[in-house]
Amino acid sequence: HRRLPAVIPTPPVSASPFPNPKSQYCCLSRNFSAALTPLLPVQLPSRMETHLWYVVPDEVKSAPLLSKYMELLPQSERDHVLGFRGDQLQKSALLARTLVRTTIARYQVDGHLDPRSLRFKRNIHGKPEVEWETKDGFCPPPLQFNISHTSSLVACGVTMNSLIGIDVEEKRRRTKNNILAFAKRYFTAHEVEHLNAIPDSELQQQEFIKLWTLKEAYVKALGKGFSSSPFNTFTIRVNTAAQQASSGIAVETLDSPQNLTNNWQFALLELMGSHYVAICLERQETGGAGKAFPIKLTARKTIPSVEDELVSGTNAVVTIGGSVTQF
Amino acid sequence: MASITRASVSMPSLSTSVNQSQRRISVMNSVSFPVSGRSMIPSLRLQRGLQVCCAAKQETVDKVVAIVKKQLALPADAAVTGESKFAALGADSLDTVEIVMGLEEEFDITVEEESAQSITTVQEAADMIEKLVEK
Repeated sequence: HRRLPAVIPTPPVSASPFPNPKSQYCCLSRNFSAALTPLLPVQLPSRMETHLWYVVPDEVKSAPLLSKYMELLPQSERDHVLGFRGDQLQKSALLARTLVRTTIARYQVDGHLDPRSLRFKRNIHGKPEVEWETKDGFCPPPLQFNISHTSSLVACGVTMNSLIGIDVEEKRRRTKNNILAFAKRYFTAHEVEHLNAIPDSELQQQEFIKLWTLKEAYVKALGKGFSSSPFNTFTIRVNTAAQQASSGIAVETLDSPQNLTNNWQFALLELMGSHYVAICLERQETGGAGKAFPIKLTARKTIPSVEDELVSGTNAVVTIGGSVTQF
Repeated sequence: MASITRASVSMPSLSTSVNQSQRRISVMNSVSFPVSGRSMIPSLRLQRGLQVCCAAKQETVDKVVAIVKKQLALPADAAVTGESKFAALGADSLDTVEIVMGLEEEFDITVEEESAQSITTVQEAADMIEKLVEK
């Protein structure tokens, strides 16, 4: 693993108040008013890149650290976090807001590195966006992001310019309803057939979860809300070619003329052997004859303000669908 | 598991009885309905725009609560009332769709995606069910 502590001092960044990033207890207990360690900047993704950041809530155990995260949020977001029932739900909600704020701040789009100063708004369909301060000819670059979380994983995808939707789910998530009954009610006929053809119930369950995350990622990338794209109005097609290690994934809408469906490309990842992550991206350029360039992915596991770990290309992030190159 | 250093429960009402067939007394400490107690009799309440309509029957609300608790694997004595928001109880989008599917089966109705998206609380689900059942 290539582990990069986020507290390495570089000239513009002041020395860390935490001599050992892992022992926050001893330092924070003395001085609760100490701010979080200054964030380390990161380079914006290039036009063809996708950045995936994720946090594992079970690895964030420090109560003082979580309090510091809370202090990064405006009152409305704190209230939203506290509105969840129970510690575990509140923690993943808090980490989701913290991840998106600290990650976007680190790109230093507006020259600042302050996660507190970011403002968010929703577009007319409810999709969250950054509301950049427009002053003196400042033209914000087209940073796109999307978040997804379960109680065991919080993830954020970032691109420059490409609309993005991501969805995460535990591999072993079980539906309360029978899978085929659920799929017949909510998915398309092709998808029901695809699931029905899988004889092993465990594999069928996993395939269902994969389809679900891919469909969610697509709708979130579109950003128009779920009612504008009910799940039974588009089919996710997974093509398994014997020669390829991972399958090709495409979306086909039932009313094709409006939505040019080869505008969207997909990646399906298995994270840490325990989660599926589906990513849907607006296609920027094609490699001639409609063939898409693979998705260039950089994946980092992080504990905001503490450490990052570059995990692309390791067995923490395995591509199981779509055309992906990991960097 | 680390805990947040402030009060973690902010639900506006508490149920003092776990027996759902008895009259339930709700304690409201924030903006809410003018009704101070719930009974088995359908009650009138004022909505926005001063429209007067019937709130869903307690029986319907109770059935919705049961389906929600089952889907989210909540203990039987978990405090879930009309005001409870699915998301705050831990429902993600898959849970919400499963809850709607459970409601369709229980009440023999069909819920369109557009309507399903607007249900965020137990009460909203119960109200929608009653409208659909009337048809």
